[in-house]
Amino acid sequence: MDRNQLTKWLKTPVKMGHKYSLHAVYFCTGCGIIEVPPVITARWDAERFGVIPVATPRQANLFLITGYVSVKTLKAIIRTYEQMPEPKFTVGFGSCPVNGGMYWDSYNTIKHLDKYIPVDGWIAGCMPRPEAIFVAVVHLWTLIDKDMADGYKRYRKDYKAYRANQEQLFGTLEWPPLFPIGESK
Amino acid sequence: MHVVEIIVSPLLALIIGIFFLGLSRKIMARIHWRYGPPITQPVIDVIRLFSQKAFSHGMMFNLGIILSLAGSFVLILFLPMGNICPLSNSGGMLVILYVMLLAPLGIALSGGEAANPNVSIGISRKLIIALGYEVPLLLVLLTIMTRYHTISIVEIVRIQQNTTWALLDLPLLLSGIAYILILPAILGVRPFEIVQAPQEISSGPMAEYGGPFLALATIQHALSLFIGIALFVNLFLGGAGNPFTFFLKMLVVFILVLFINAALPRLRVEQAVKYLWRWPTLISLAGMIIILIIRR
Amino acid sequence: MNDSLKEQLTSVFTDVKVFIPEEDRIVITVEKEAVLSVLSFLKNHGYSHLGLISCVDWIEEKKLELVYILSAYMQEDESYHDKERTTIILKTKISREKSEFLSVTPIFVNAEPYEREIHELYGIHFDGHNRLTPLFLERKYETPPFRKDFDTRKYVQDVFDNIPFVEKKAENK
Repeated sequence: MDRNQLTKWLKTPVKMGHKYSLHAVYFCTGCGIIEVPPVITARWDAERFGVIPVATPRQANLFLITGYVSVKTLKAIIRTYEQMPEPKFTVGFGSCPVNGGMYWDSYNTIKHLDKYIPVDGWIAGCMPRPEAIFVAVVHLWTLIDKDMADGYKRYRKDYKAYRANQEQLFGTLEWPPLFPIGESK
Repeated sequence: MHVVEIIVSPLLALIIGIFFLGLSRKIMARIHWRYGPPITQPVIDVIRLFSQKAFSHGMMFNLGIILSLAGSFVLILFLPMGNICPLSNSGGMLVILYVMLLAPLGIALSGGEAANPNVSIGISRKLIIALGYEVPLLLVLLTIMTRYHTISIVEIVRIQQNTTWALLDLPLLLSGIAYILILPAILGVRPFEIVQAPQEISSGPMAEYGGPFLALATIQHALSLFIGIALFVNLFLGGAGNPFTFFLKMLVVFILVLFINAALPRLRVEQAVKYLWRWPTLISLAGMIIILIIRR
Repeated sequence: MNDSLKEQLTSVFTDVKVFIPEEDRIVITVEKEAVLSVLSFLKNHGYSHLGLISCVDWIEEKKLELVYILSAYMQEDESYHDKERTTIILKTKISREKSEFLSVTPIFVNAEPYEREIHELYGIHFDGHNRLTPLFLERKYETPPFRKDFDTRKYVQDVFDNIPFVEKKAENK
């Protein structure tokens, strides 16, 4: 495993640091959270990958959105995502963040999570097995290596569009914009 | 030579402290029958945390954690590790007693700026626990100072090297037992892991720390671990002639503390203070009375 | 035990239909004016636990049916065993266009969240309820979402599919 390669550590220590210490926010979104406690306990041990759950979004850099997202939960997700320090990575876990999943014609869930916060990777399944989280983490490592996991940069660049989408869904939002939005033409 | 010692000693403490943090995660994982992260995992965490761009709440928020870290670094200079002790003639144990309180105070200062009620609860718990273990700790330290007629910790180590360990010295046995009983409270391991309770108060005072602040808080945690164990080894297990034996003794004590950490749950803060003010205080008081009688 | 309750009900109240479909279950159908008095009568007779308030949408008859489910708490002495096993289901029908009703919170205090939910999802207004604010939903709906004439697919297309993807919006700039 390239965790032990000293030359890589000496050349790009920051990237290796981001890869091998992904701390996940313990945000229990929907029904998919039932798959996370087996992953972080003794049977499928996620700590050997460097993934541990932390209590606050201020200390985390991985956001795992498991399960369906209702309109009320989306408010909490946006506030949590904006509190995390950069660089941060988001993974949509399950079919419901991808395209609505089982609740594709429901009046109270959002269908595509990508319209409201940027997502780096998806895991399909209803529910995926715990090994799927490990496959996602390893895939996220290769993405970080190639500099393709740039969800946070896209959020900063297209913040006007994201904020417009969020306001179209909720009406006015109680919190101010995270990055300054320029004047509309 | 003196300057080299002043530079080398905190660096050595930092390396050993971080090694202990990684070792604790690995040993706890093996106790749980799983593999666990590599031993260098805290180093990876600190590298990643320093490269993040976090949000600061104000000037006092930045300065508080730096004050706490500075207090811990300065305290290292007063503790002998084997035969390395830069500031050996400068007050010894009394200075250690005072400077040991800078760490919680620094974190309390920065937590006052963060507008999070979890942080306030965590800081109040930290200060209450400090109040809890200071009473028996003070009695034990006074007992040792009375027995060996000195306040210099280097002198105490030298006397123990010549005669025997203080733990095996029969009049000091009760004080030694009292110190062993309060050692988990000083280190912040279970059953006294009340300050950082991730499930209850979202990791207490560190709830608003992100990025570089959390890296500094991790380093401060490593140093406070080192200080707690080093003080016990110096006072009761005889110190050592060279650093290697010293670190070996620290390792044995640390692994025993980890075994207690793995087996016990967490106490509430009022239960912890009730315990700390009852049995360890009585035992250390009895030890002090024995020493005063013998001296007469 | 069930028969004696049936006799008592039919003797005290007019216009009450009691039907016993199986053992330990009583179904009472009343007009909407008599609901509060029948509920206090049943509560005084020991059925003091309101389990659920539910609502059914009969769209052909143009009526909304409210269903109250009551049961009895366990007592210490032996004589109430029959009563503890029975469940009472009370039904009324109200009109669908003008959907208003009286709140039963003076009798059963724990009816408050059930009536809040029914107000939010079916659109029935309860007089005398002190907190009819939204419970689950975040948006406003013209037709309450649990009624049978609410078109979910059209709603999803109007609200959620009209929000554009961010990359496409950025490309169009």
